[in-house]
Amino acid sequence: MRSIRFAAATAAAIATALTLAACGGASSSSNTDPGDVEGEIEPREISWLLSRPADGAVIATVEQIAADYAEQHPGFSLNLVTTPDRPSYLQKLETLAAARELPELFDSDATPFAAKLRDQDLMVDVEALLEELDLRDDYRPLALDYQRFDDGGLYLLPFEFEIEVFWYNRALFEQAGVEVPATLDDMVGLCGPLRDAGVVPIAVDGQDQWPLERYLAYYPFRLAGPDYVTELKRGEAALSDPPGRAAAEWIEALGAAGCFPDGFSSQGYTDARDLFTTGRAAVYNMGTWELSALTSPDLPADVRDNIGYFTLPTADGAVTEDNEYVVVSGIGMAINAQTFDPLVKDFVTYLLQEYPARYAATGRFSPTIGQETPVPEGASPLFTEVAAEIENLGDRVAMPWDTQLDPTSNTRLQQELTLLAQGDITADQFIETVDATIADNAPRYFGD
Amino acid sequence: MTLLDTHRPSPVRPASGGRPPRRLAVARRLTTVLVAVIVAVQVYPLLWIFLASVRPAQEFAAGNPFALPSSITLENFTRAFELADLPRYIVNSLIVTLASNVLIVALGMMAAYAIQVLGFRFSRGVLALFLVGIIVPVQVALVPLFINYSRVGLLDTYQSMILPLVGFALPISVYLFTSFFQYIPRETYEAASLDGAGPYRVFFRITAPLSVNTVVTVVFVNSIFIWNDFVFANTFVLSEELKTIPLGLQNYIGAMGATDWSATFAAVCVTVTPLLLVFLVLNRAIIYGLESGATKG
Amino acid sequence: MLPSRSRTSVLVFLLPPLLLYLVAVVAPVGQSLFLSFFRWDGITDMQFVGLDNYTRMLTGDDVFWRAFGNALGYLAISLFFQLGVALLLANLLTYVRRGKEVVKTLYLLPAIVSTVAIGFLFQRVYSFEPTGFVNQVLQAVGLDGLARPWLSDVNTVLAAVSVPEGWRFTGLYMLILYAAILAVPAELEEAAKLDGASAWKVFRHVRFPYIRPVWITTTIMAATYSLRGFDIPYLLTNGGPGQASELLTTYMYKTAFTSTDFGYASTISVFIVVECVAAVALIVGLLRRRGGVLL
Repeated sequence: MRSIRFAAATAAAIATALTLAACGGASSSSNTDPGDVEGEIEPREISWLLSRPADGAVIATVEQIAADYAEQHPGFSLNLVTTPDRPSYLQKLETLAAARELPELFDSDATPFAAKLRDQDLMVDVEALLEELDLRDDYRPLALDYQRFDDGGLYLLPFEFEIEVFWYNRALFEQAGVEVPATLDDMVGLCGPLRDAGVVPIAVDGQDQWPLERYLAYYPFRLAGPDYVTELKRGEAALSDPPGRAAAEWIEALGAAGCFPDGFSSQGYTDARDLFTTGRAAVYNMGTWELSALTSPDLPADVRDNIGYFTLPTADGAVTEDNEYVVVSGIGMAINAQTFDPLVKDFVTYLLQEYPARYAATGRFSPTIGQETPVPEGASPLFTEVAAEIENLGDRVAMPWDTQLDPTSNTRLQQELTLLAQGDITADQFIETVDATIADNAPRYFGD
Repeated sequence: MTLLDTHRPSPVRPASGGRPPRRLAVARRLTTVLVAVIVAVQVYPLLWIFLASVRPAQEFAAGNPFALPSSITLENFTRAFELADLPRYIVNSLIVTLASNVLIVALGMMAAYAIQVLGFRFSRGVLALFLVGIIVPVQVALVPLFINYSRVGLLDTYQSMILPLVGFALPISVYLFTSFFQYIPRETYEAASLDGAGPYRVFFRITAPLSVNTVVTVVFVNSIFIWNDFVFANTFVLSEELKTIPLGLQNYIGAMGATDWSATFAAVCVTVTPLLLVFLVLNRAIIYGLESGATKG
Repeated sequence: MLPSRSRTSVLVFLLPPLLLYLVAVVAPVGQSLFLSFFRWDGITDMQFVGLDNYTRMLTGDDVFWRAFGNALGYLAISLFFQLGVALLLANLLTYVRRGKEVVKTLYLLPAIVSTVAIGFLFQRVYSFEPTGFVNQVLQAVGLDGLARPWLSDVNTVLAAVSVPEGWRFTGLYMLILYAAILAVPAELEEAAKLDGASAWKVFRHVRFPYIRPVWITTTIMAATYSLRGFDIPYLLTNGGPGQASELLTTYMYKTAFTSTDFGYASTISVFIVVECVAAVALIVGLLRRRGGVLL
């Protein structure tokens, strides 16, 4: 053991001799105000760190636009570095941020972590940028709201626009003799008959946690509106308050009624979708980014022609309207204030001007107003129905909780939520653990 | 292998009477069956992955994943190559694995030689320092390493992957070589020294050639971990040109985590092939190493 | 010590590996140790908090203790495969006459398949709805009652995530042990057999004492790799459901990169290092009895 002590002493000596680059504070050269950036455009290579599918519409569209821009500005190139797996992406983003090595453009949600980046003057105020370019009114207000921080600050640009609905299989509903639910409580009632008909009632991706967390957000959004979660995360509201309690008890009831497949906690995104698209599950709660897959001619006709949708059911005493539910504009793009120069500004301007039309042409919904999305060839009538729904939204949106809560509380909440839905813990235990966790962690993130 | 004599066991007490040959035959057959069963358990997953890669994607989504595919398709492979630059990832993985292994073996052997054969005042302390490294979880070093590398401009290079991979593999390499070196009889070295061989010649003429077996073990263990490394590659590599296979498999992940599993499995089949080949070649080397080790030891 | 060695020769051999090791491993680990006395989110200024992180870990964090217990369970199951099954296989292999090389190669295959694929495969193997491989087999042999979602049941999930890790590297450790057994002089075993000793006795009194040093090495490797085990649980369950399969490593990873609490994550990793040192000391203490091994 003597030798091990020696090793420990050596390590300790080296450790004390080292210093970390953990210097906080903003760099003097950062430009959070886009109005300050003027001058000669010097083309160079810039990078965008993204977390989007490599073969998806956003990247394809951006690549085209960057190529055109490079033609006009020889020497320019855009290096797109994508890490679609979100946890791996966040790890990369955090290490880059810690080392002050963030690229010119990077993706983020409006999370507490991103808020810290903004407080360190690392992000450009894009509201000011949009105003300067006279583009702000082109955007759907909901698309921008999704990207805002709690104080209303807008530092992230949307590139998508999607609503989240409940897709369901009409044939399976008929077979089980159930109707589209009008209220959240009605959903619990669907599960027994569907189970009896030999069908998985609701397919859910339990592995990624966020899909189940959406369910927790529904009741509070209906009963208390969008402010509940912003209060909850700061510890100003508690899960033991009526909206939170209703949510926990609803999840408990869904679990007890066998709504989710046994073993959903280890099923991934693809598994859940496959359950639905192969006619084995009746309901699937997911965003319109799946619309093209669900209306595609590649899908077996007996499933495809039976897919319908319903939006978030209401509840007794609801304060939000039927056409208000989860609307997202995807992960946002931030502009690094430290590398913000005339070139970046010019390119982003060009990108924002070109993007909506070209993106919509791929059959997706643009975050801007008045950009018509052509119906893809061979798509089922469902496409048009859903497209109409998108133009008929209310003013308030249910924010996903996973980008709202502090990350430590969120992790714990997600873990306990799975247990709640599986019936391993009761609603009371769930409420108690989560409230304690938030009380413990919220001050550290939102304390100032 | 004379040092091993110290472990020689106490003599075995003779059991009374002989053993009927019949029982032996049964035991032998049982052994064969058991070995075959375990082979099936070990091989089945690879077979499953291969079958999944030639199974039509629709059937993969709908059918029983453990049944034989109803028809065979190469479409998944086509998609796999369309979505990702597989040959480049393979080349990168080979470069990283090869370079890392060369360093791990050379440096590990050198350190073990200095510690175990040459010896010096704090040799045990240095060894302990190395051994502590066996047990450090790599994730903890990520943030400091990243900051350090960005300071010296090492980010996004092969070196940024190779350096930590070698560093974290070095302890086990040093440990294995040190363990092995203590079984090389002292007399071998003394005789060589009397013949006037210096430390360098002893290293190249005696120690290194005797270590083939250990080299193969070290290369083996490390290749597996390095070939599959995701953590370092994901942290330190930014550009497409340097992506290794585990990073490249990310290309099959679609919106919100929807993964094209059929294409992923096709890609896994393609990317596992080089390692499989290297591995078959090495397998021969092991036998060679063992035999030469046995005759010389 | 080599009689002809010189100070220069020691330095020539020792310095390159030592320097690389110091730069690539010791320095970042030292920095990490340093970080464990701070609160740092990677962006704002570091705050010195003394031993706060350690107090929090040891007295106020139920997830930490849960993860610690799970890590020990994970270790036990991995060792069962990587040492127990591997040793059994290595021994069996010596009795096989034909096709040894093929068998050896096949055993090693799982180790070279990408972890992502392994994770996905086992998720299917354990699945309940749709019925996965394990549950299909259980139903086929009439044990329907035992069928369950193995990865979602809080009572089975830890074992379920440990098995793939153990299974994957069984072949690797088998190969190392097999090589050691080959080195056992055939005359010794023959003599014992001629004396009428059973296969078990030959193993117990001749073979095992002979391979003890290699056995210790294997045990240390398997134990430390298992204590650092991360990717399979991370991919299969991400520690869930609840914290039923949370290991210290997955918890540390989440603390660092989900919660961006680098100080506390460093504290957990200091604990992992201490835990591994203790495990190695224990292994060496228990196994060295008869024979001059390293350390």
